[in-house]
Amino acid sequence: MKLTAKLDDVQAAAARCLRDGRCTYGSWPENRTLCPLYQHNPSFTFSGGGYLFLILALQDKKIDFGASVAEFAFSCAGCLACDANCNLIRCYQPYAGITDIIRLLRSEAVRRGLVPAGARKVQEQVKSRGHALELTGKVAKANSILFAGPETDGAAIKLLEKIGRPSARLAEKGYSLSTIYELGFWEELGPFVEAAWAKMKPLKDKDFIFVSPHLQDFIVNRFPELLPDYTPVNARHISQVLAGAFRDGRLKSKNTGNVKVSYHDPCYLGRGLKIYDAPRDVLAALEGVELVEMARNREDSFCCGAGVMGDYIPGLSEDTARERLKEFEATGAELLVTACARCREAFRRVMPARERQRVRDLTEFVEERTQ
Amino acid sequence: MITKSSGVKAAAVCRELREAIGAVKVMDDEITLVTYGRIRHGFDVMWPFRKPAMVVFPETREDVVETLKIANKHKFPVTSVGTAAIFLGTTEGGIILDQRRRDKVLEVNTDSGYAVIEPGVSFDKLTAALRGTGFKCSVGTMPGPGTVLGQALSRGSQSFTTHYLNVILDLEVVLPGGMVFSTGSSHFPGVGSHLRYGPYPDLAGLYTCAYGAMGVITKAAIRIHPVNEAYRVNLAGFDSYADSIDYVKDLTNHNIPEHTIIWNWHMYMTWPLEPKDMKTVMPGILASDFREPPEGTPYNLVSTFFSGYPEQVELYEKICARVAEKYHGRVLPAEEVDKRFPATGAGFRQQYEDFHYRESVHWSKGRFAGWYVFAEPKDIKEIEKYAASEFSKFGKAINPVNYYSHPFDYGRSVLLRIAGFPDPADIELRKKIAAKFEEMYDTAMKRYGAVPIRPTGSEKAGTYIQVLASIKKALDPNNILNRDSGLFEEGDL
Repeated sequence: MKLTAKLDDVQAAAARCLRDGRCTYGSWPENRTLCPLYQHNPSFTFSGGGYLFLILALQDKKIDFGASVAEFAFSCAGCLACDANCNLIRCYQPYAGITDIIRLLRSEAVRRGLVPAGARKVQEQVKSRGHALELTGKVAKANSILFAGPETDGAAIKLLEKIGRPSARLAEKGYSLSTIYELGFWEELGPFVEAAWAKMKPLKDKDFIFVSPHLQDFIVNRFPELLPDYTPVNARHISQVLAGAFRDGRLKSKNTGNVKVSYHDPCYLGRGLKIYDAPRDVLAALEGVELVEMARNREDSFCCGAGVMGDYIPGLSEDTARERLKEFEATGAELLVTACARCREAFRRVMPARERQRVRDLTEFVEERTQ
Repeated sequence: MITKSSGVKAAAVCRELREAIGAVKVMDDEITLVTYGRIRHGFDVMWPFRKPAMVVFPETREDVVETLKIANKHKFPVTSVGTAAIFLGTTEGGIILDQRRRDKVLEVNTDSGYAVIEPGVSFDKLTAALRGTGFKCSVGTMPGPGTVLGQALSRGSQSFTTHYLNVILDLEVVLPGGMVFSTGSSHFPGVGSHLRYGPYPDLAGLYTCAYGAMGVITKAAIRIHPVNEAYRVNLAGFDSYADSIDYVKDLTNHNIPEHTIIWNWHMYMTWPLEPKDMKTVMPGILASDFREPPEGTPYNLVSTFFSGYPEQVELYEKICARVAEKYHGRVLPAEEVDKRFPATGAGFRQQYEDFHYRESVHWSKGRFAGWYVFAEPKDIKEIEKYAASEFSKFGKAINPVNYYSHPFDYGRSVLLRIAGFPDPADIELRKKIAAKFEEMYDTAMKRYGAVPIRPTGSEKAGTYIQVLASIKKALDPNNILNRDSGLFEEGDL
């Protein structure tokens, strides 16, 4: 989706919606509900199709673009489940998924100055951190660039050192690029995307290793749409690097006790980047670790709710995390491992303080259990 | 005549409903109302925008009973809907009763061969529930997320209708006053739903194609069919529709197909497409004349599903090959289909062998504009020529021109459904198509003895509608059900 797109540009695509609910649930035969909004409130309105019809109603002047529309626009978790299950909308110009069309609705809310408090807070945090990418380390000697935010990169750096992979760091303060895209602050995004690309281009002969699935998804899947001179980079998620290191013996497990874990597929690592096996391969390579799957997993995974920034349904974000945690508890696992800092925080937020360490980041978990 | 509900009355109804069934089941926020304001068949400016006063989401039969009782007391209009397309418009300022949360498969009876389902059960849900039971359900032409009952009540095309007219055996109905009754054998205490009617008249018929105007359906028993030891989807190609019909009739007369459908080449090439194929296969289709397939591409494919013991299936395959030749066609080996029409082969396998419904991404081409009729076999051949000729006058703008055709009730009647996909924004073209369809229905009825599958105007139905109107008045004296639709207006899509 172009950052200059307007609601007019998606009207015809939105009109293709058959109202059949495919956007709400996962693959046959389980057909499990995947859309967090729909899970909370099964109704056509609270589905990807509902957003499309709202856009059409706005275009048809059946409803004013007011604060409630903005709250609604920001209430989508952005979990990509609708995009994974409905192909009809993306088969028509501008060939965008439903999630991107909802982001466009958000960008229209931003343009009108109708930003819900939750989204405004996140945007201000991002703004205060700044968008600049900082390159550190011995770039000339590095064969890879760790593209990392501040939350989980410590463990990632240690792991890369363990496997003898010289890396420099391209550090982003927070997840600025992907966050402002997902929140719809599109008018301010262009220069930052260009600046990021300018930093990355000279490093293109190296591997880019990502810790944040959101950032990797943004660069891999959005840069081609946003940058006329973009050429693909060799992007790998840290879980893929680790899985490879276990395979070729550069990373060795140490048994620190038996533990049963479940793995939560982050939406952007899974449905966004289609990386399902690598994190599981990594967990399988760890001695004493038994993986038990939740009922909704891989492409049919259920969201953690972190992306909900609107308050149209009060408590939706927390309820979504709780719904997922119920599923985790049903597995009987002791730990919930995920590969996204946002997911980890979303789960920890709704857990009692004494329980929070049961949610672990993949890289931290692997770092602890390897030699 | 009931006047349109006022805001004050709506507020009172909303309050009472929330007290009766719970606030979370009654939505009246502005976003819900506008997104339900044009749900008939997608948000289409061709259809009127009718903003409801509230949308109710019953979770139990009692919720439906309470909703209807309150609505009836206030003479407040109600339209019952499910997931996916509906055939009648909703009512401005009324209640939309969305039964999607009532989606349980209540019983799978593998002795008699029926499943009892709630109205919100989708084809995907039912096919999943039947896995491992040794039974299968009809394969519709609806999307998998569409509701089984929605299609059954509108008598849409379904597989296995080769042997009967409708999948419905028994219905549980709630009348506006709150009375609940069953139309079939489950009416008798402790009796299952194996028998559609008897010793009294067939009341389920009153609710089939009634689009919710005679009562709200809260439960249904539908036919399911055994999965036999061996099965095949046999594909035969023909260069004319007339030959295809003769082939289908011959096989049906000999009790071979469980189900058979004739597909025109635009349809069999585009219906099963993957998204990627929209950029590879579809452009060629859009540039073509649907009456003139490329050299070597059959004008029609006939898919014939049959099952039984392995020896029986093997024999049926041989018979299909022989009968196809008799009518100037030929059976296409699976390898040839996979090589020449890979998406088509994959689509048939997914739909008929795995009962997993294909997503119809070809609908992204434009707004579906379909024309449907039933006729006797000899007449349907002429109707196909006539319809193809009329559709061709719109040129390539409505490509793909997709049709399918299949026998109901052992071929006593044959359905032809032909559709184009005009640009939704081309209102002038779409108006022309709508006017043309009216003319075509008139001509097909007068000249070829056709019967429309959807209502096309009560004036054509004469005394039939008068009788129905009397029944409607008795069952729904305050005319709260599907009020803006009259009895059966606005039925054509």
